[in-house]
Amino acid sequence: MTLDLDRAYEVMATARQMDERMWRLARAGRAHFAVPCAGHEAIGAGYGLALRAGHDFVAPHYRDLPAMLAIGLTPREIFLHFFAKRDDPCAHGRQPYAHWGSRAHGVVSQQGPQPNHVTHGVGVAWGSRLLGTDQVTWIGFGDGGAQKGEVHEAMNIAAIHKLPCVFCVENNFYTQSVPSRLESARPDLAARAAGYGIPGETVDAMDVRLMHDAAARAIARARAGQGPTLIDARCYRYLPNTSNDDDTRYRSREEVEEARRRDPLLLLRQELDAARADAIDEEAMTVAAEAAEWAEAQPGGDPEEVLDHTYAQRS
Amino acid sequence: MTTRTLSVLEAVREALAEEMERDPRVVLLGEDIGRLGGVFRASHGLLDRFGPERVIDTPMAETAIAGITMGLAMRGLRPVAEIQFADFMHSAMDHLAGEAAKLRYRTGGDWTAPLVVRTAYGGGFRGGPYHSQSVEAFYSHVPGLKVMAPSFPDDAKGMLTAAIRDPDPVLFLEHKRTYRAITGPVPAGEHVVADGRLRVARAGDALTIVGWGMMLHEALAAADELAAEGIEVEVLDLRWLLPIDRDGLLDSLRRTGRLLVVHEDTLTMGLGAELCALAAEAGVLSVPPVRVAMPDVGAIPVADAMEDALIPTRHKVVAAARNLMEKGDSSPLRGEVRPGGPGWGTSFDTTIPEASSVIEVTLPEVHLELVLAALQEACRAVPQCNATFTWDGIRLHDQVHVDLDLGPLSPARGGGTFTLVDYGPGGSLLGLPAVRPGQTAALRVGAVREGRAYLALAVDHRAVDGADAGRFLQALRQALPER
Repeated sequence: MTLDLDRAYEVMATARQMDERMWRLARAGRAHFAVPCAGHEAIGAGYGLALRAGHDFVAPHYRDLPAMLAIGLTPREIFLHFFAKRDDPCAHGRQPYAHWGSRAHGVVSQQGPQPNHVTHGVGVAWGSRLLGTDQVTWIGFGDGGAQKGEVHEAMNIAAIHKLPCVFCVENNFYTQSVPSRLESARPDLAARAAGYGIPGETVDAMDVRLMHDAAARAIARARAGQGPTLIDARCYRYLPNTSNDDDTRYRSREEVEEARRRDPLLLLRQELDAARADAIDEEAMTVAAEAAEWAEAQPGGDPEEVLDHTYAQRS
Repeated sequence: MTTRTLSVLEAVREALAEEMERDPRVVLLGEDIGRLGGVFRASHGLLDRFGPERVIDTPMAETAIAGITMGLAMRGLRPVAEIQFADFMHSAMDHLAGEAAKLRYRTGGDWTAPLVVRTAYGGGFRGGPYHSQSVEAFYSHVPGLKVMAPSFPDDAKGMLTAAIRDPDPVLFLEHKRTYRAITGPVPAGEHVVADGRLRVARAGDALTIVGWGMMLHEALAAADELAAEGIEVEVLDLRWLLPIDRDGLLDSLRRTGRLLVVHEDTLTMGLGAELCALAAEAGVLSVPPVRVAMPDVGAIPVADAMEDALIPTRHKVVAAARNLMEKGDSSPLRGEVRPGGPGWGTSFDTTIPEASSVIEVTLPEVHLELVLAALQEACRAVPQCNATFTWDGIRLHDQVHVDLDLGPLSPARGGGTFTLVDYGPGGSLLGLPAVRPGQTAALRVGAVREGRAYLALAVDHRAVDGADAGRFLQALRQALPER
């Protein structure tokens, strides 16, 4: 499975433009909450373009805006979610931004406590197995989430039954402010795969080609009934954890600048025709601006609906 | 319709089997449910019948069981998970209360989790703190969940069938004492109880008693006893704990005007509080309501007499009901059903015939260990002083568990078999201790002055007579070292 580099760059550039716009809107008080994905783009684009959109399932990490674009959510839909509008397809104005979800796109609803969706993703994968389909479920979570006990429970069970799923740690070396060395005695998270008897792979996830290849291998393996793979996707988060975070309190500007030298967009750009890349950038900026402007003007969450959907039948 | 007599456990098993037969999307998962057939045998035979794809033995991982069950439901399966004991539900709570219950709401109806988690709850099995809990109050506070707790075999089948077909997540609570003890007629074949209404288990007009699970059967036994006294009580099997059948409750209370709730869960913030509040808000009560519940103890002890002292019984229900029937106005309740502080508020008569006697002994300033050792001797000599009142009589104990009251900053914690009060050098020279409810005696050590102190013994005369008290003090004196 070869990666269309132009398409990958389009996804990543659009995500970057949307991300920066969201950051400014949230800081300007025009939206509640921004969750940056800058620095994680190659992961979402890499696996999103390796999945069969509309067929496979995703239990995404909250920084997977690029994957949402890759599998078919539009920038307008994503901005509806960002602004908590009535027609927000992910949460209908009920969850903050980056709590992805869409039954139509196979996106398992994402929750606040991380990474509870890992077990949900395993259940979805198990369901596909029991229903006799060849659908794969991609399960993404952070290096912080990887330390939680239930992730072990989930990987163990998925390995026992060779379930059609992929576990991907989006490893940016921080759990908000807590650095890797205080998260795990052994930094090599892929090594844990050996304990479950499944393949583990460490990927330079700033390079979308490497990320896509690793994702495609793991997905093919899952689809063939050979069970899950654990991917330790090494990346870096360029912006604070969320719009409520101040990352100057826990990491130096020099460290962030150093990481920016390997910006996934810059790395991919080197492989593209410069004029083509410029045109994609231009288009991405236009698309992001238009989508944000359109979505901000849409009707907000409706208080008339506030009692709906607690149960199937309103009591 | 053909009916057979089944136990609650057999009814649960029949519902599982019939739903698996009817709907291939129904799968079971949990610890020991396959080869063993479940620790209570609820899924006995189902592995052989439906195969390991649909009857799944999981690792010991309650959190993942709950989370994976939710994922299966999201994917379109109809999973039924078993958590062996309700006590282990706490590890699963995040995925039930935090996730499944909120899924429909947080996605505006896009995603749903039609799952069932079954679990065995309740005490009376000498299971101790971690195999006896009742957890209904935790989950009945979670909108988005449904909580069912059948009391009879026909409901166990009909409601579990309804739970499996329900579009919303259901916690299905099975009282483990009902599993084999409660039998009754159960319809063969399709039987669905999905109305969300409580069940009038016995009709009457004097008083409404509400219960569920094993306590419902205690309430029914109490109703028999009360009927012999001419008090015809109505007994409501709540069975749907969330959402509550408010109309059904109020219909009954409009006729009786009197409410007694009995639950095995602890008193404070239990479901009784909600039922009383619903009744009070609706203005349907002619006298204040009463709750008979587990006292607010830290856990359920394993020792027979201790557990028996805690779990509500038909006798406590009868006593509370009689008391309630004596009320002709809305004056505050008195006596044994008065809601109390943490501990023994609802369990024991607080008016105890007490007596006391005092001796003077030589005692060093630092003496607690000496006194405790002497107490062991004295209790061995006069075991009536180291005893507990139970409904079956006065139970003598081999071992002394001392409730140590060291002053206002370090009061006794309760749960022991004998109370020792010692306020130390700052205390008074002579003070009389109070016998703690349930116990039969208490000793107070006065402040030591010039190497001497008064020991005051208080006893409950129903268990200990004056001669016994004298022998106890004599034994105590002999066991203390001479100066």
